[in-house]
Amino acid sequence: MIGAESMSALKKLLNEEQIFRDEAVFNPYGNSGEVTVYPETEEEISAVLKYANSNKLTINITGGGTKRGFGGLMEKSGILLSLERYKGIVEHTPGDMTVTVKAGTPFNDIQDYLAKYNQKISLDPFWPQMATIGGIIAANESGPKRLGYGSARDAVIGLRTVYPDGKVIRSGGKVVKNVAGYDMNKLFIGSMGTLGVVSEITLKLRPLPKCESLVLVSFPQGKMEKIKVLAVNILDSMIEPVTMELLNPALANKLAGINSYTLALTFEDVESSVRYQEEFIKNILPADADLRIHSKEESESFWSEFYQHIPNTAAKELPAETEASLKIGSVNMSILNVMKEAELLIDLLNVSIESHGGLGHGLSQVTIRGAAEDVADAAAKVRQIAESTGGYAIVKHMTFEMRKEISVWGENPSYFFLLQGIKTKIDPLKTLNPKRFVGGI
Amino acid sequence: MKAKNQIKSTDKHIVNLAEIVGGARSILYLKEDLVAYDCDGFTIHKHLPKAVVFPKNTQEVAEVVQYCSENNLPFLARGAGTGLSGGAIPLNGEIIISMVRMKKLISVDLENRRAVVEPGFVNLMLTNSISDKGYYYAPDPSSQYCCTIGGNVAENAGGAHCLKYGVTTNHILGLEVVMPNGEIVEVGKDGIPDAPGYDLLGLITGSEGTLGIVTKITVRILKNPEGKQTVLAYFDRVEDGSQAVSDIISAGIVPAALEMMDKTAIEGVEAAAFPVGHPKDIEAVLLIEVDGIAAGIDEQINQILEVCRKRNVREVRAAKNEEERARWWANRKTGFGAMGAISPDYLVQDGVIPRSKLPEVLSKINQISEEFGLRIANIFHAGDGNLHPLVLFDARIPGESKKALEAGSQCLKVCADVGGTITGEHGVGIEKREEMRFVFSEEEIAAQTDIREVFNPYNFLNAGKLFPSPGRCVEIKKELKAQAKIG
Ligand SMILES: Cc1cc2nc3c(=O)[nH]c(=O)nc-3n(C[C@H](O)[C@H](O)[C@H](O)COP(=O)(O)OP(=O)(O)OC[C@H]3O[C@@H](n4cnc5c(N)ncnc54)[C@H](O)[C@@H]3O)c2cc1C
Repeated sequence: MIGAESMSALKKLLNEEQIFRDEAVFNPYGNSGEVTVYPETEEEISAVLKYANSNKLTINITGGGTKRGFGGLMEKSGILLSLERYKGIVEHTPGDMTVTVKAGTPFNDIQDYLAKYNQKISLDPFWPQMATIGGIIAANESGPKRLGYGSARDAVIGLRTVYPDGKVIRSGGKVVKNVAGYDMNKLFIGSMGTLGVVSEITLKLRPLPKCESLVLVSFPQGKMEKIKVLAVNILDSMIEPVTMELLNPALANKLAGINSYTLALTFEDVESSVRYQEEFIKNILPADADLRIHSKEESESFWSEFYQHIPNTAAKELPAETEASLKIGSVNMSILNVMKEAELLIDLLNVSIESHGGLGHGLSQVTIRGAAEDVADAAAKVRQIAESTGGYAIVKHMTFEMRKEISVWGENPSYFFLLQGIKTKIDPLKTLNPKRFVGGI
Repeated sequence: MKAKNQIKSTDKHIVNLAEIVGGARSILYLKEDLVAYDCDGFTIHKHLPKAVVFPKNTQEVAEVVQYCSENNLPFLARGAGTGLSGGAIPLNGEIIISMVRMKKLISVDLENRRAVVEPGFVNLMLTNSISDKGYYYAPDPSSQYCCTIGGNVAENAGGAHCLKYGVTTNHILGLEVVMPNGEIVEVGKDGIPDAPGYDLLGLITGSEGTLGIVTKITVRILKNPEGKQTVLAYFDRVEDGSQAVSDIISAGIVPAALEMMDKTAIEGVEAAAFPVGHPKDIEAVLLIEVDGIAAGIDEQINQILEVCRKRNVREVRAAKNEEERARWWANRKTGFGAMGAISPDYLVQDGVIPRSKLPEVLSKINQISEEFGLRIANIFHAGDGNLHPLVLFDARIPGESKKALEAGSQCLKVCADVGGTITGEHGVGIEKREEMRFVFSEEEIAAQTDIREVFNPYNFLNAGKLFPSPGRCVEIKKELKAQAKIG
């Protein structure tokens, strides 16, 4: 509980307008706080953590608030620490192709800034206009372009992390190659804020592609075997798509008006190479598949629509239907089974499903909408499907009430003792994002 | 036959360990056999192990480890022993667990683009095993013809082509690890990405064999690029060469490799086994490789030629054919060893700097060379700012080894001071323990040893590596220097 004493202590650390008492009784997604604080400097973040940690208060951390439905069995902590006001570019050296940013910076703000230098961060997260870089890194968000460019663990080269006791620990550095000591960056990427508050992030950049195109190959007959043959042929060829994402009919329909399974291939390179790769696809196209080639502008708008298709807890209005979203990891080609089986749940449980999966990187995502009970049933089934292929499923989005009824992260891994050991070393009092992560860490 | 497989030692640990690994053929314990294991590629520091065991499978590794930990015997893993920072040196008279008999290619799954190997499998063998199908394994340390993938994982090894494709950690999908208490743990099951939980895969990769012993590795394999072209450029001024590097990158080209050698290095490679006729009076040579879709390569090569010309290049041209390209690379990849042709001894350093600081750092390295009266050759992965200053010295001259170590350390200080780091691919090992303080605070080092404690609480596994030991550091430095004199 945040009593009068804690309030006045916080007021000594921050200005009045950086502290906000949340009177709302209940947040449908949980992960909130009795008091929201908005630090504007790293010193302030550190001071709040130090105070909370030494006074047995708990802290939830938030950036843009797009992922409130991702993990967490606490409706409220004492403090909700928002990084919304800790934003901006700290350093950008165009010649080194690296950028250092504050954690609360919305992803698109950084991309817009970098575009002036023909550079970009090679990540493609959901809701990029709202999601902060800190939240993206903490949740290890990636999108279809992971096939071409890798994920957060490949892009992040340095971090500053505020530990629960207030000390600031740097990991990595500002150079693209670095093996001095343990690769501690990896520890914080995807840690869901359970180890520290990542305050500053240094990333390596890529040049903006000189040319880009989107090739949509759709399969009106929906035969998974056909899709697989094409995907395997592409993977075994010399062409280098940066996405090879399969969309289910509902999602393809929403994004491109094609009501059948559709493979979205993106090419980014110099123009001659892009044209060559388009031709290549034309030449190996199966007889009963349809092909559409889209220009750079169309490709950009297609993907930007795509990044808005999953639930967003920062949206102003609550959705009319209950929503859930699961992230599934499997070996590449098992994605076809996962998506096919998930599709059967539409009729079986009277839900709507949008799903997509990267046939070159092994991650897929299933978004379910419908009546609360049906959605919960479908989510449980999706997990079964994932596990039956030897993969895993984690719940990326659900309301707080629903999360209590399902294990968000699935069974604990056999090496859970190591995860627990790490948490205990860094955050022994469980101050940060309590119960947000695997096994209630 | 049987007698040959019998142990002649009365030391009960030797007898028991021999039993675990299957007899005398799988263990070395006599002094004359052990001397080959008293150091690795970092030869300035030496110590004899208690024994070397050669397990055949994970189970034997686990049993050896369990035995060692129950009997308070320090132990460590060793691959090919090519490490350049002393990671495999048995500082504490360790039991060395050699991985060289665990050298199978377990499986290749082209459809899902991955392969599973045992840790003793040699890096280049993987590419050789899959190249007929058009695939390869990207991380290509210059030692790839003999170093093991297990050693690569431990050091998070890099190579010339890591500029575009990333270092080892970017290609590791799964690991089976024997924990320091003998427990077997599998992370990244089946190579499936983003396993829920902290990224142990990322943490163990690059931990220099201090968190566990890797017994199985799932790696990503890539399709060969359709086209490839290499450009060679000679510059009369290092500044022009450095500037060309920046210009190429700024032009939005992502070369597969971008390597540079300076005048002293050129003298070395031209005197060694693979000379290609680089002019002796040139200040810098750049080797730039572009790969990808064949249709797009010419455009990029033309752009590179143009950039070099703008920066006053003396001569620039693309390789005429694959044979010439291969010769240029053999000349570069054997660069370290080539120093043997112009100096009795050399010390390889491994600093990293922001690319834009290249001219400034090179001139400071020159100053260090003059101050110490030792020649320093520079071979580097210029594209990612990874410098390898090679300090040339003669260990027979009293005090010169010590001077070389100090000069090397000074080079790293320069790198750290411009915002870089002390090692880009060779690891900290014994060699750069103290230099860790150039980049990390006491608290930050403690944050790392905290992690070690979770995995390796009693520190029987590869103790004394990677971190400066608080309080003892002055002593160690003295000891190191004394050893340097002898070595
Ligand atoms: C001529 C030359 C050129 C080189 N060029 C490069 C280069 O371009 N890029 C580069 O990155 N490096 C380079 N190196 C350094 C070296 O080859 C690499 O560090 C390599 O990864 C070491 O592999 P290894 O099998 O020899 O390991 P070792 O030297 O035997 O061991 C290195 C470390 O790994 C640990 N280890 C080994 N196997 C395991 C295991 N299975 N589980 C846990 N820990 C283990 C050891 O304990 C030790 O700490 C070069 C070395 C030489 C001699």
